[in-house]
Amino acid sequence: MSKPFLQTVNLCKRFGDVIALSDVSLDVYPGEVLVVLGENGSGKSTLAKILYGLYFPDKGHIKVEGISTVFSSPMEAKRKGIFLVSQRPQLIDDMTILENVAMFLGEPPSRDLRKRLYALLNELGITIDIDRGVHTLSYTEKQFVDLAKVLMARPRLLIVDEAATYLPRELKRRFLNIVKGLRAKGGSVIYITHKIGEAIEMGDRFAVLRRGSVAGVFGLGVDASTLRQAMFGSEEYLTRIAKGFTQGAPQKPPALSIENLLVFDEYGKPAVNGVTLTVGAGEIVTIVGITGNGQKELGEAVVGLRRVSRGRVRLNGVDVTHMPACERVRRGLVYVPEDPFREGVAMGLTIAENMKLFSQTKVSRELLETVTRKLDVSPSNPLVAVAKLSGGNVQKVSLSRLLLTTPKAVVAYSPTRMLDEKSRVLALNMLQRLADAGSAVLLLSEDLEEALHVSTRVCVMVSGRIVRVFEGPDLEGYREVIERVMVHA
Amino acid sequence: MPRVAIVRRELPMAMSALAKVFVILLGMLIAVALASTVTRTHIDIAFATLLQSLVNLNVFVYISTLLPIAVGLCIAFSANAWNLGAEGQLVMGAVGATFVALYTPLGSQEIVAPIVAIIFAALLGALWALPAALLKMFRGVNEALTALLMNFIAYYITNYLVKGPWRGRAVYGYPTTDMVPRQARIPMVPGYSFSWYVVAACIAIALLAYLFLYKTRLGAALRALGSSPRFVELIGVSSRRLYLIAFLLSGALAGFAGGVKLLVYHGKLVEGPIVGSGYGFTAIMLAWLGGLNPLLLIPASYYTAALYILSFGLQIGSAAIGDALANTIVGSLLTLVLLADFLTRYKLVLR
Repeated sequence: MSKPFLQTVNLCKRFGDVIALSDVSLDVYPGEVLVVLGENGSGKSTLAKILYGLYFPDKGHIKVEGISTVFSSPMEAKRKGIFLVSQRPQLIDDMTILENVAMFLGEPPSRDLRKRLYALLNELGITIDIDRGVHTLSYTEKQFVDLAKVLMARPRLLIVDEAATYLPRELKRRFLNIVKGLRAKGGSVIYITHKIGEAIEMGDRFAVLRRGSVAGVFGLGVDASTLRQAMFGSEEYLTRIAKGFTQGAPQKPPALSIENLLVFDEYGKPAVNGVTLTVGAGEIVTIVGITGNGQKELGEAVVGLRRVSRGRVRLNGVDVTHMPACERVRRGLVYVPEDPFREGVAMGLTIAENMKLFSQTKVSRELLETVTRKLDVSPSNPLVAVAKLSGGNVQKVSLSRLLLTTPKAVVAYSPTRMLDEKSRVLALNMLQRLADAGSAVLLLSEDLEEALHVSTRVCVMVSGRIVRVFEGPDLEGYREVIERVMVHA
Repeated sequence: MPRVAIVRRELPMAMSALAKVFVILLGMLIAVALASTVTRTHIDIAFATLLQSLVNLNVFVYISTLLPIAVGLCIAFSANAWNLGAEGQLVMGAVGATFVALYTPLGSQEIVAPIVAIIFAALLGALWALPAALLKMFRGVNEALTALLMNFIAYYITNYLVKGPWRGRAVYGYPTTDMVPRQARIPMVPGYSFSWYVVAACIAIALLAYLFLYKTRLGAALRALGSSPRFVELIGVSSRRLYLIAFLLSGALAGFAGGVKLLVYHGKLVEGPIVGSGYGFTAIMLAWLGGLNPLLLIPASYYTAALYILSFGLQIGSAAIGDALANTIVGSLLTLVLLADFLTRYKLVLR
């Protein structure tokens, strides 16, 4: 084999009292995809940030083509051809997509750049107006813009930190093709994920991180159970999503009803256009669709973060259409927002403070401990600031609101995003249990798989409208049809 | 050539605290050096003066004004409400107290007078903060600018009052009101210009503010407002109402400080810039010096007060230089604190 493009030598990183990485040594060769696999909080993102110069290691160093170095800023990493796309898109909200890309590349937003950017977006199959301000994009849209931005720089080593995990299927397929193209041209990829299936599909070699250390490096042909064993150790966990016993129950009064809703986006274009929908107590209704078809706006309008221009939203028969969000929340409507970092938690506050805020009543210490243990938040010390947690653990804190309240209705936007396999099952079971206890659950999901698994009904949303509704005991059987409707309606 | 790079780091709590203490000690040395140079005093004498300043009871004069304002700002800044108008709110507080004491029948009632006067001062301070808060909430106008500009309006209203309708009959044409009645004043410690009642109230305010911010749900929500208004809405708390609460509380506390300053220290309304004398701005620095924690503001305000006294102690006779010196010292100190804050979060790497 040729010489490695990049090596890490005994990298160590500590955050206050939390050890994020200890003695991590790995190599990446030209023309290969190295998958870094690990559960939430295992140190994957910290590793990526060190390689990209965002963090400075406490100990250890990096070798690029045999030469020892440590990056103290992304600028230096970029100069070596190393680029990162992370789970938090690195874009400036107040600028347009084109301006962001231009600034990242350090060239003027010329007509030539515009042409090249459109060409790449075309290749990725993304249709988006590059003069849109980034603040108007949904989280997932930001993610693929960020991805395109980095691809524009023609990386020699591309680090993908969970950024592709939640892309719509078709876009993801194209992205993976681009990654493979990069590999064929001798480029390297570090692909960070917690999804074992995705890892096997992508990787040439697999490094498993567990609590900050390398738990094993595996070659091509490794099986899922070996990887799972290395990721989680020998502990047993639930891999099955419970099926609710209320499924297919007779008609219940709708706890959440949406009538003929019209909602505009930032540009005054209708994002949600005449959606009518009811969710009965005990039901899980899922809205699926390719990102950017109005799901975000629908969710925000239902919970009151976005103005409704026409139509009604009713919660247990009470018209809440024009109430502020806080009033709806007090009346028992709980929202799990799309972006956990900005809206789901208060980053500056501790885990305990965040959790206490979710409940309208006083939270006992026992309950707090139970919730932390149940969600397996790591670190488990409730006095740690949420800003210090990994992405998955931030999402777990955001989800704790479901355990600390007894909502009449839940609106959840991709609640399993960023979660590892174990926590994902846990989160879906939480929704199921809430439904069993009589909550109405409206799930806005980008993951068709889990939608089919938990839903009473699946609605397909295209261009701001609900175009088809699927119902019945065997939703899995509709998978092909649903996928077709999502793409060509 | 070696290159310098700035990289992030995270120190354990104890180390960060130690760094702060070190900066505070260093700040004192710088203050002594600066003061002895500017006033041409021998360094020994300057140092002795510093030690005396630390045990001088007059620190409470400054603490009584600075602490409540800084506590209010601490609440406002935690919620991302950039109230830079504490100076004006302080001045209007003094106007409010004067009004009650001189122009209402309540002014001659023992005990009732100072209490009502201070409540009214706080109300007027809050009222002075209101336009900036409302403009921000309903029109998106930057509150820092409006609040800042309101300071000057407060100055000139006060100047107008003391030169015009409120000018005293027994003041020989000086731009002040008459002295407020004895019944309305708060009793001072003999020989000093401060009152133990007020000092106790200020410390109580700091404690209450701490309990509010760190032990109540509303307080935690208020601190969360700084990072995300949407988060606050989604836990069922109105982000608008919370913003207004933070803004008005800081206005009220500045007004309180103004009322107290008038009833204890001045005893009569004087020109706006003299009533304010920049305390509203110093308190901004103080709020950051205390790391936006009301409890830490108690030692921080004591420290700032001691530095004020040091500057005045060395420069008896020319108050103008003392004032400028005090501001210079406090200003360089804040720079130092910010530097220390930077160095605990980042380190310089030579390569």
